[in-house]
Amino acid sequence: MARTAANDRPQAALASPEASRIEDDRETVIVADRVTAGYENRRAKTRLIALRDVSLEIRRGEFLAIVGPSGCGKSTFINMIAGFLKPLEGTMTVDGKPVRGTGADRAMVFQDYALLPWRTVERNVQFAMENRGNRPSKAEQAERVAEALGLVGLTGFEKAYPHELSGGMRQRVGIARALVTKPAILLMDEPFGAVDAMTREAMQAEFERIISQTRQTVIFITHSIDEAVMLGDRVAVISNRPGTIKEVVDVDLPRPRLEGDAKSSPRFAELREHIWSLLQDEALGAKEAK
Amino acid sequence: MTSTRTTAATAAADEAGANQIGGSKVVEDLKISRFAPFRNTVITIVNLTLFFTAWEIVARAELVNPLFFPRITDTFEAIYTGFRDGVIGPELQHSVSNLLIGLVISAAIGIPVGLFMGASKTADLLLSPYVWAMTSLPRVALIPLLILIMGFGNQMQLTIIVLSAVFPIMVNCMAGVKTVDPSLLRAGRVFGTNSFQMYVKIIFPFTLPFVISGINQGIARGLVGMLIGELLGGGGAGLGFLLDRAGDRFDAPMLYATLLLLAVMSVALVQLMRWLERRVAPWRDLPS
Ligand SMILES: Nc1ncnc2c1ncn2[C@@H]1O[C@H](COP(=O)(O)OP(=O)(O)OP(=O)(O)O)[C@@H](O)[C@H]1O
Ligand SMILES: [Mg+2]
Repeated sequence: MARTAANDRPQAALASPEASRIEDDRETVIVADRVTAGYENRRAKTRLIALRDVSLEIRRGEFLAIVGPSGCGKSTFINMIAGFLKPLEGTMTVDGKPVRGTGADRAMVFQDYALLPWRTVERNVQFAMENRGNRPSKAEQAERVAEALGLVGLTGFEKAYPHELSGGMRQRVGIARALVTKPAILLMDEPFGAVDAMTREAMQAEFERIISQTRQTVIFITHSIDEAVMLGDRVAVISNRPGTIKEVVDVDLPRPRLEGDAKSSPRFAELREHIWSLLQDEALGAKEAK
Repeated sequence: MTSTRTTAATAAADEAGANQIGGSKVVEDLKISRFAPFRNTVITIVNLTLFFTAWEIVARAELVNPLFFPRITDTFEAIYTGFRDGVIGPELQHSVSNLLIGLVISAAIGIPVGLFMGASKTADLLLSPYVWAMTSLPRVALIPLLILIMGFGNQMQLTIIVLSAVFPIMVNCMAGVKTVDPSLLRAGRVFGTNSFQMYVKIIFPFTLPFVISGINQGIARGLVGMLIGELLGGGGAGLGFLLDRAGDRFDAPMLYATLLLLAVMSVALVQLMRWLERRVAPWRDLPS
């Protein structure tokens, strides 16, 4: 996968770190304005606040990585953008309109894959294209399914059922399903969580290449600080429950990073160190609170 | 079906080279003996033969009063002559067709109502007291009432079968809909299903195995209902009637012959459902 990546990319991006910085005049697509979110427990008559007062603006074509301790509300945040969950307070807008339910402009990769067990791999990927109006022709659907499966390295497994695949392979089916419609916004909840380190790196490279071409807006949750720094234009660090945004770190590393071996640059180490210490405070804070 | 799926995947994998890692094949052909599929059948035949032989020996030794425990050969003979003289045939047909009609009616009512109850909280709230009461009430208790309403005819026998089978089917369908994995529903919403598509593409396929196990329970309960109706309903037809009459006449071979037929009938139905289950839900990888 990785070997195809480098060829036809504009070389300008490599020139200086400045070139890869997010230009501030790019329009914002997703705006979270003092969003508070939580879950009701009717039996206990309580409400668990998962996120409090989160404000964040995400620009078109931006790659935002989100890191934070387990249970801090990362999935909750992404679920609000997807339209599964309404904020208790504040507003979440996409393209200037408050989010009301799901939409064709947003696709999601689920933390727990959410594949249909009774469908083969190719039919699972096809699922993304067959429900809404103006669906592509059968032939075009098949073509795009094959392409998407190629991207995630699952050619040859079209006819397999999810239960016949490993966890990482299932996760890649979920990624193919989200990529196949080329939605403007990609919501990814730990998409590479279940794949091994080598495959992960190859997929990151492939993914970076795809995004640089499609200019999709990506919200990407991960537990790996390295991954967040490697892929993100910015990294949002979320604090312990109730989650608030602790800091949004600008990642001023030139792209392409996976090809360009950004990992060995001193700046990468610096950023990683910085985010690490932010999260470490959180981990310690959690212990002290107990 | 399994074999075509595997070979297709294998061929494609070969093509892509994904099958080759360091020159060794990932998908290899299995060497399965031609006789492997018959192994279980052979074991079952030997098993049954031994069982019936033991039965014959015990019966001939008259360890038990032959009035309660006839020889198996006499029992088989009773089956043979019963069919030959037209004693069993019509009764068997009566029972089987009643049971099948009853099951079809039960499924036709139980599946949609169960699905509806699973999907609508209001329907669940309003209907569930009755459904649960009817599910747990012993069927026999209804016989006097049904006789009062419908007399001794076939209608009453059919009704008791339906009343026996419909509730397990309903309850299972309801449980199926309620346990649909919420993240599958989310996937449905993200990828744009309307509520009809959600039902057809996610909720119903997820519920299908529950529907089938509901029908399985429905068969078991329906059989009981069928016998109760025939034994106590006094309709003068069916395997239950045969049992009743053989008992009255101290005709032990005929009694055992009828029991044997009932056992064969229920095993056949359950096997049919198991086969169906594997056909409609291959992803569940059920043990065969
Ligand atoms: N459906 C739900 N009902 C009730 N509480 C929930 C629900 N989903 C999440 N929570 C609670 O909200 C909090 C945040 O959950 P969330 O799934 O957003 O965490 P997360 O940051 O994605 O964690 P992880 O990294 O482990 O996936 C958790 O404390 C969890 O207990
Ligand atoms: Mg999560």
